Amino acid sequence: MTAFRPFTWVGSALAIVLVFVYFNSTHEPPADFRYVNSSGIHTLDPARMSWTQDFRVALNIWEGLTTSDPRTNQPQAGAAVFPPEVSPDKLTYTFEIRDDARWSNGDPVLAGDFIRGWRRGMEPGTGTDYTFLFTDNIVGANEYVQWRQQATGALTAMDRLRHGWGIDAQAAMSLSRHDIFEAIQSQLSSDVDVNDDREEGEALAGRLAAADIDWEVLYERVFDLHVADMKRRFAKVGLEAVDDKTLVVKLLRPCPYFLDLTSFPLFLPCHASVELLREGGAAGLTPEGLVVYDPQWTKPGRGKNGYPGLITNGPYSVSDWKFKRRLRMSANPFHRAFEMMASQTIDMLVYENISAALMAYEAGDVDFLPGMDVPYDHEIARLAKTGQRPDFHICKTFATYFMSFNCVDKRIEDRPNPFIDARVRRAFALAVDKNAIVNAVLQRGDHVAHTFVPPGALAGYHSPAGLQMDIAQAKNLLEKSGYPDGEGLPAVTLLYVPSDERVCQALAHMWETNLGAKVELRCQETKSFAQSKANHQFMIARGNWYGDYYDPTTFLGCFDTGNGNNDSGYSNKVYDALLDRARNTTNETQRLKLLADAERMIVEEDFPIIPLLHYASPIAIKPSVSGLFPNPRLWFPFQYVSVER
Amino acid sequence: MIRHLARRLSWAIVTLIAVYVITFFMVVMIPGKPFQQSDRNMPIEVERALRAQYSMDNNWLYFWEFLGGAVRLDFGPSFTYNDWTCTQIVAQALPISATIGILAILVAVLIGVPLGVISASRRNSWVDVSIVSGVLIGISLPTFVSGAALMALFAVAWPILPIGGWGTLWHLPLPVITLSLPFIAYICRLTRMAMLDALSSDYIRTAIAKGVEPRDVLWTHALKVAFLPVLSYVGPATAQAVTGSFVVEKVFGVPGMGQHFVNAALNADAGLIMSTVLVFSVLLISLNFAIDILYAWLDPRITMAY
Repeated sequence: MTAFRPFTWVGSALAIVLVFVYFNSTHEPPADFRYVNSSGIHTLDPARMSWTQDFRVALNIWEGLTTSDPRTNQPQAGAAVFPPEVSPDKLTYTFEIRDDARWSNGDPVLAGDFIRGWRRGMEPGTGTDYTFLFTDNIVGANEYVQWRQQATGALTAMDRLRHGWGIDAQAAMSLSRHDIFEAIQSQLSSDVDVNDDREEGEALAGRLAAADIDWEVLYERVFDLHVADMKRRFAKVGLEAVDDKTLVVKLLRPCPYFLDLTSFPLFLPCHASVELLREGGAAGLTPEGLVVYDPQWTKPGRGKNGYPGLITNGPYSVSDWKFKRRLRMSANPFHRAFEMMASQTIDMLVYENISAALMAYEAGDVDFLPGMDVPYDHEIARLAKTGQRPDFHICKTFATYFMSFNCVDKRIEDRPNPFIDARVRRAFALAVDKNAIVNAVLQRGDHVAHTFVPPGALAGYHSPAGLQMDIAQAKNLLEKSGYPDGEGLPAVTLLYVPSDERVCQALAHMWETNLGAKVELRCQETKSFAQSKANHQFMIARGNWYGDYYDPTTFLGCFDTGNGNNDSGYSNKVYDALLDRARNTTNETQRLKLLADAERMIVEEDFPIIPLLHYASPIAIKPSVSGLFPNPRLWFPFQYVSVER
Repeated sequence: MIRHLARRLSWAIVTLIAVYVITFFMVVMIPGKPFQQSDRNMPIEVERALRAQYSMDNNWLYFWEFLGGAVRLDFGPSFTYNDWTCTQIVAQALPISATIGILAILVAVLIGVPLGVISASRRNSWVDVSIVSGVLIGISLPTFVSGAALMALFAVAWPILPIGGWGTLWHLPLPVITLSLPFIAYICRLTRMAMLDALSSDYIRTAIAKGVEPRDVLWTHALKVAFLPVLSYVGPATAQAVTGSFVVEKVFGVPGMGQHFVNAALNADAGLIMSTVLVFSVLLISLNFAIDILYAWLDPRITMAY
């Protein structure tokens, strides 16, 4: 009989695993400064970033032409001499890159490195959220981006056709907008009258697939022409490296906040070694016409094609990055501040569970929590406010939480949409008790919002007053628009994500009791919510907006007709004209006044949104830490940080 | 025997293909734009071009490209975490979950089986009653409660272990014990039932009559048969434990696989959803396969049947 000793086997297996774990565990010393980023970062590619936690890392490992003051977020000196030379018409900025600006491998930072970085932000293949920061401000950028987007749209469609795969309506429409379409059209059996209509797009797609055209030849022709043209086209963009150290930027119109923009992650430079990882063969373009770099370029350590690993020019460089676990930054010995930096190593730790992060903070395992989004955040706010926890700070952020109305669709899910009438929107806005939401429902210490732009954050900008709650006037307005006491008002749908549950229940209650409206609550998880919102399947939907740069336009631009983020579909010629006049005026006082007039239309007259509150964000800094300051953007430069242990 | 294994193997492959096809169709139907990073809307041409670059504008093409890559263990990029390929993500997370999972199963066997044996041998005594009620608690107590309780005890009230994270041996005990609790309970119950069954069978009576030591009767003769149902449970349980528990990983901040199952779906990250599901299926199928072989080795009656 075979010996049957299950416990011996299991016990030895256990011992083997433990020994294995022991020899694989980390034995390196802890970092000088440790902070928690609850869900990790999405990317280290500055051109693809959209989230504050990603920006925070990027701005510590790279350095723009300007940087942001750790307390006030005002622009200060960066990789370029500060302030740069600005022409009298304020349209030409000449940046002189400092002689001591160095990459983490010792290479000097060049003007061309900035052009490389900025160009990535314009290329459609990068998938940037913020391309508009270039196209709105820099000469020729919009023309270049449009030309590239059109060409890649057409090349994508033709690439599909040459492989004999069908294309869909949108692809057919992109192809029809390209110059080559004239030549194609003559090959189709009859002329197609194309306008932006889905059915026609589908018909066109079918006919293109069936047409007797040698797509291979046509594709090659368009592709080669495009490659030959790219250099010439990009030369028209107002970016010029006059010599290795001089970068000249030409603006479309005066931009009072341009030096603030140049400290934003999208405006960071990019080291030349990234070209080793460019995909797409000799032409440097994928078959779709995209400029694409192997996403592995953001990793430290050697890569393929002799890539040396991520090279950055900031106070720190990345020495280790474990997915959703830890990112270690080490001081960059070539940075001019190296000698003065007290914290030589920084660990960004990931705790998916913020409560665990808070416990780790209490236990002294981490020094800093840049966010405390816990279910008991009202308790955190109370401790901070009463001074019981002097290490808890509340940062007033440059952000607004609001509800937006669908202002365009006449019918939603076979129900008439009452909110195409501005009076109904206004009535709903007047019936909201924002104080109750901030102080009774959430209790987080947020600031009640009557405006879209957080007031007081911008010097020289006088925010409009907005409207206070006024139920009598709200009822009156509702009656005037044909719904006395809410009679005849169709059931209103309120779309939101799970974190809004309590606020939305309170809102529904306010509208039901104050106006006699019937409110249907509709909670969706984030991705479905985004889809419903994009398809305009809502009457009222939650929304929030974080200002990207210190100017009212970062908020007000959202309601420009046709803006990609204009979710409510609001369109008013007067509003557009005000923004346009503001854009083209050189008088700063006049410009800010025009913008305030525009905001007044949003928050006192037309109400595409109801601003509810400006977020207050709690952070925790151990008393042993110095050199870390609460600031509205929640960007924290770590080069000034020191920890007493 | 060989024929039996060959048949099991071909079934395994068919199952795997079915899993892939079903997952693929569900992934394609998920709402949402995988390339969109934030609330900001992307220009339509840009989104289309990116979809085309990853062959996501043509489902059929994507189906074959992903399958072709998966065979070579290249699962393509994660759409939410652009800097990482799904292979890198799985390669970093799976060993962590596997360590915790394997340890939890080993601990569960080491504790659950003896408990079951003792409980069966002293049927209806106070020992049996307390073990059975303990097991009931172990099965019904959700891990987020037991995990939080253990953390409150051993990391906060009496801080001898770290609160969470990963990297040293000290990070192991809390998540391993939390994860093993329900397995201990289940294994204990399985052993108890199988032991009761075995103890009343003829060969045990024969053994006792022949004067075999009661200890040997219990731990060798009876347990060898009673161990079989435990073994068949351990296979799928190991696959489940090894691929990570979302709750345990979240509570203790363990950077394992469990979080990716949930987050990938929430983020509509097509590549990562399919990678995690495929990895899980392969593990489940191969562990069942291994248990099949072990079973045949432990219980010769099975081999005789073929």
